[in-house]
Amino acid sequence: MNPIITAFTNGIKKSGLELSKVVVVSDIPFEPEVIKEIGVDFFHVTRGRAIAFGTGLKLGNPDLKIVAFIGDLMTLGGNHLVHSGRRNMEMLVICVNNFVYKEIAGTLAPSVSPGFSAFSTFERPFNAPHLANSCGAIYTARWTAMHTNELANSIANALDKRGFSVIEVLAPGPNFYKDINQVNYELLDFYYKNSVTKNNVDTRNVEITSEEKIVTGEFTDKEKSPFIDTYNAQLGKILGDKFIPLGGQSGRD
Amino acid sequence: MKTNSKAVMTGTHILIGNEACIEGAFYAGCRFLAAYPIEPAIETIERYLKRSADVGATFIQMEDEISALAAVIGASWTGKKSLTVTSGPGFSNMMEHLGLGVMLETPCVIIDVQRAGPALGIPNRVGQADMMQARWGSHGDYEVITLAPSSPQEMFDFTIKAFNFSEKYRTPVIVISDEYVAHKKEKVIIPLADGIKITPRRYFKGQKDKYLPFKRDKDFVPRMVDIGEGFKFHVTGLTHDDKGYPIMLEECQEYNVHPILWKIRNHVDEIIEFQETGTEDAEIVIVYYGATSEVALKAIKQARDLGIKVGGLKLDVVWPFPDKKIAELAEKVKAFVVPEINYGQIVSEVERCSYGNANVVFLSHGEKGIDNADDLVSAIKLALKEEKIKKGIIEYQNQAGRA
Repeated sequence: MNPIITAFTNGIKKSGLELSKVVVVSDIPFEPEVIKEIGVDFFHVTRGRAIAFGTGLKLGNPDLKIVAFIGDLMTLGGNHLVHSGRRNMEMLVICVNNFVYKEIAGTLAPSVSPGFSAFSTFERPFNAPHLANSCGAIYTARWTAMHTNELANSIANALDKRGFSVIEVLAPGPNFYKDINQVNYELLDFYYKNSVTKNNVDTRNVEITSEEKIVTGEFTDKEKSPFIDTYNAQLGKILGDKFIPLGGQSGRD
Repeated sequence: MKTNSKAVMTGTHILIGNEACIEGAFYAGCRFLAAYPIEPAIETIERYLKRSADVGATFIQMEDEISALAAVIGASWTGKKSLTVTSGPGFSNMMEHLGLGVMLETPCVIIDVQRAGPALGIPNRVGQADMMQARWGSHGDYEVITLAPSSPQEMFDFTIKAFNFSEKYRTPVIVISDEYVAHKKEKVIIPLADGIKITPRRYFKGQKDKYLPFKRDKDFVPRMVDIGEGFKFHVTGLTHDDKGYPIMLEECQEYNVHPILWKIRNHVDEIIEFQETGTEDAEIVIVYYGATSEVALKAIKQARDLGIKVGGLKLDVVWPFPDKKIAELAEKVKAFVVPEINYGQIVSEVERCSYGNANVVFLSHGEKGIDNADDLVSAIKLALKEEKIKKGIIEYQNQAGRA
């Protein structure tokens, strides 16, 4: 099975969460059989909008744990990332970074270095953990898809936290249109071998460059009041007894 | 459904259209609003916030209209009746997720308070130029129910109807209002909480492992469940089968998308609503909706005083379009006059449905003021003067018309 999914399943197991309370929103089409295997409710939505969709799910039923699997985090999903960080919306974002849009003739994502393609990449790449950290994420980490144990632990840690968490996973990007066995293991291995784990380093120093090894690890881990708590506290203070706080109630009125 | 007594403000109130719209939403059981502030829809958000504590409703100001509608569709899957409000520029942003709402077959309501456009236009002036966008704005094939209120009372009533339609047919529904109606202050009567029938969500009742999110009944409407209750379902915006699994085949495109259109098209007679004024003996019929309703009634009275037999057809539901009614009238009347605060949108539908049996005169209304019926009466006279049936739309050039 896809190593990221394996890590995700193990991560949920480790966190001890009830599966029916976990909802996955994704802008990447998953193999449906895989989702069935995990046993969660799954939404495949428009490209880059999984965080926005997940925000509605979370506010509609605050008892749920939302996991957003995102391919397009920093372009179409950029504004949603920035503002969910600002809100500290309780959600785990797993950004699967392939550097390319694999289904669209391998066109390039905003995480590649300048000169990666002679004709189309002139910009500096985004450093995903640093971007998320600057926007207010309470937990950031980066792993390659081969770091299955570390990734599973990381997912369990992030699921335990209440707030906006972002984990970047470097992977060659298998998808369900092609046989999963065709995934290039050499490439998977390439990321793994060229990485070095440094936990708790400043996210400013984890940019991916062609000269240095990829820095993996858990970078940010802090506590901050999540959106729903702030919402309840603020409105509770103003409105007093007549305010009905969000959470701890069924979604239905 | 358990109703919160404070949610329904039974009684007679003086409200602007935007406020009445939110009262309608609360009456219908709406408890979630995600929006991005925009003129001239802003009073809806203000009203919602003012009342949300009493009602127990949630609001979030999203980062843009794209995410606002995404959050609304998400919240709807948690079992909450959900709403978003916007105006033209935001409505353009929402087109992306209008398509997603159609494909995921998610009940939700979008309020579009039209302003003058295109682009930024005039933020606080009335327009009616989003009519075609509501119908065709998102890519791909879809049918969307659109209601056009013409007064604060109708803003209240039609918002409730919109929620009822969205639950009945499991689809997004648009209420297309405009700045004039949204800011008009009038008497609004809110009935008792059980005075208007509210359509409940059509839930799947069966074993948890037997649930198929897109299994249709005889009316082509699938059943819903709430997330987080252990149904373990899969939903995708890609072309999918009953299980909600993506299948990239032409047969599946037909299997998936065509019924989404049928579920509306097969029920047009139940959906379409209009009001007729003196069409029995009419030679000329004014076809109108929304902001031009008042002036149309005024023009009918003025023309009747002049001895011209004029009737009116007010479209309450604009989409799906009342094709049959227009065709039926076209065989009886000499001409249709269509006043719109745009440069010709619904008029082309009227022309299409009259099948060459009646003339169609178009008036771009509003230059002399929205309540000035002079141009409309002149347009009626022009329609009366035409002896033969002309091909295409006859455009009424008002006196200020440029050469």
